[in-house]
Amino acid sequence: MSRHVGIVGVGQTHHSRRRTDVSQAGLVREAVNRALADAKLTMEDIDTVVVASGPVLFAAVNHPEKWVVDAIGAQGKSVVRVTSGGGAGFAGALSGYYQVAGGYSDRTLVVAYDKLSEGQLQYSISTLYDPFWGREFAVGIMGFSAAYWRARMDMLGHTEEAAAMVAAKNRKNAIANPYAHIKKEVTVDEVLASKPLCWPIKLLDVPPISDGAAAVVLAAEHVAAKSTDRPAWIQGIAYCCEADNAPERSLMLSEPLAIASRQVYRAAGITNPRRQFDVVEVQEPYSCFELNYYESLGLCPPGQAAELIASGATQLDGDIPVNPSGGCMGANPIGAVGLIRLIEAATQVMGRNETHQIKDAKLALVQSGGGWANLRGCAVLSA
Amino acid sequence: MGLNKVAVVASAQTQLRPAWNGAQHIDLISSVVASVFKGSGLTLDDVDFIIDSGSDVLDGRSISNCGFLGALGAHHKEEARVEEDGLWAALYGVNKIRSGASAIGLIVAYSKPSESNIDAYWSSQCEPFYQRPVGFGQRAATGIQAQRYLAANAVSDRDLADLVARRWAAGADKGDVLIDTLPDVDAILGSGEAAAPLTRLMLSRPVDGAVAILIATEDVARRSGGNPVFITGMGASIDTHSFADRSADGLSSAQKAAHMAYGKAGWSDAKADIAEISASSAVGELLVIEGLGLAEKGKGLAAASDGRVAINQSGGALPADPIMATGLIRLAEATKQLSQPALYGGGSPTRAIVHGAGGVGMQNNCVFTLEV
Repeated sequence: MSRHVGIVGVGQTHHSRRRTDVSQAGLVREAVNRALADAKLTMEDIDTVVVASGPVLFAAVNHPEKWVVDAIGAQGKSVVRVTSGGGAGFAGALSGYYQVAGGYSDRTLVVAYDKLSEGQLQYSISTLYDPFWGREFAVGIMGFSAAYWRARMDMLGHTEEAAAMVAAKNRKNAIANPYAHIKKEVTVDEVLASKPLCWPIKLLDVPPISDGAAAVVLAAEHVAAKSTDRPAWIQGIAYCCEADNAPERSLMLSEPLAIASRQVYRAAGITNPRRQFDVVEVQEPYSCFELNYYESLGLCPPGQAAELIASGATQLDGDIPVNPSGGCMGANPIGAVGLIRLIEAATQVMGRNETHQIKDAKLALVQSGGGWANLRGCAVLSA
Repeated sequence: MGLNKVAVVASAQTQLRPAWNGAQHIDLISSVVASVFKGSGLTLDDVDFIIDSGSDVLDGRSISNCGFLGALGAHHKEEARVEEDGLWAALYGVNKIRSGASAIGLIVAYSKPSESNIDAYWSSQCEPFYQRPVGFGQRAATGIQAQRYLAANAVSDRDLADLVARRWAAGADKGDVLIDTLPDVDAILGSGEAAAPLTRLMLSRPVDGAVAILIATEDVARRSGGNPVFITGMGASIDTHSFADRSADGLSSAQKAAHMAYGKAGWSDAKADIAEISASSAVGELLVIEGLGLAEKGKGLAAASDGRVAINQSGGALPADPIMATGLIRLAEATKQLSQPALYGGGSPTRAIVHGAGGVGMQNNCVFTLEV
């Protein structure tokens, strides 16, 4: 059955609002060089490559992997691009995982990136909606996300303050992250008082827009030792969807995330996520989403995310730290973020996280997603 | 390693038409997803995952898979979008089943180029600094390939037109391609310059259409009726983006992809009964035939029609190129030819080669080997 697959090398760029010194291809090369060096490998050791990025409209190069391939020296190899909106980096890792698990390759390089300074982000996202039934009133992804949050406030009695706590926590954690570019501590009151962009979403609930890339080397068990004696083993990984943006859709629990986590927990032998995981990394495009993930991932019972964040359990010194890296609040190169979360969790169980190493972390949970909050996945990594 | 064997269980496709007026993307997709299960004994409930191929640029929509999830039958399942020809989506799905994580997968590819500007689709793939400013694109790449090929080999434009005429006839006969009037050699030669020395009809014709393929473990395949066709080898290779740096006399990435696939299948050479290949022009088809090892360099024309290997009995991509779905349709066609040889004049074929391509001047190539 499945071959065991480990993450044996990681690399990411120092993300920033605008990288004018490199092209998309140059940005990708930086992350790839770092991941290869980290894995003690060269491109010659890599069998296959997966490139992941957000929608091509973000940066106006169609099929960009065909250009990027020259910058990373992958000519001649099996190279394919996987995309899935915000979760592209995670979806890329998933397909790379199966290339190794299915015996197509022994070592697969997965690289994910977005260079958001080169396009019109919210305009591009608005074209996500149906040209006949959705686009006339679509305003990027923020309007939709505000409705998502508002529904939770109405149904669960959650407050703006709960989400503001997430923003304050993650922004504080990001200060120590060497790859983040937003490093400023804010208080819950400051988040609450920040400018409403699409109520209840306020300026400080929103992550930055970033240029950045990330890469990992995935390896089969028999070749992993060449790179490291402590890989991050992928114990389970899945990415599920919810069809169409129908009015009857529940905005409470994320159904696709709940389905994905059930599959992944079964594969990884997780029965009590709150107690078993040492650390969690999630992709929170707006602060309110992190609360939803707590519930959908089973870190707390449905409807009790506000209590979980208020308890301090997900803070750095809590019993289940979420986003010690700072999450999206420190840097948000959208198509790369899913892979960045995977990297941050992998380095935790490898014992060498550069931001906030959680002591003795052995088991990590990673979440990522995209679309109109209808594409959701998660993975379990172990030492 | 004990990896699972993977078979193609069933396939379905729409007719391939210059324009499917009155049908949206979701209509084409849902029609193939609904009909692919017929006779297989399986239903959508049995499907573990869906992998789809399509282009945001052709669809005019970001993350376009997001809008098609219902039509794809993907609700509450694992779904992935491969933004490359559908043969790469199949490659992903096969790996997923081989790993043992899943047993049954649905692979879907679709295209509606009739709603798009095709030249812009290609030129937007060129990198923005050196290629785009000089207007480089698919026509330029395809024309240069043809000029080099005709200059180096004893092949005339009439030979090319003859090949195109036969492919269009095959497409109308076996390939479920909508063709109003079959063009003859003179009509092809007189169809207007498109990428000198190639005329318009010597380029593959963009069409609308969709295709779905059901793949499964050997165990499931043997219980679902029909003769399972096994995917025994897969390979892919991408060439340099810089067109000037690619080899002048062949498609090296097609060659590398084939080498990888044959190696995985345990084949020492390209000994097959059937080949279904994608190509963006008549010369492109000859280059692929040679790249796959079905003919020596410069000898592709004879192999294209001598019947020793039955190449493109479906007509291939020349009469019908639903960009992003073309290679997956080749997989469906080759499977049909292996499992129902009576429909193709009898015989007992046992091995087939399937080819898909992507990118300007066929920069990216993918090859499958099939066996019964």
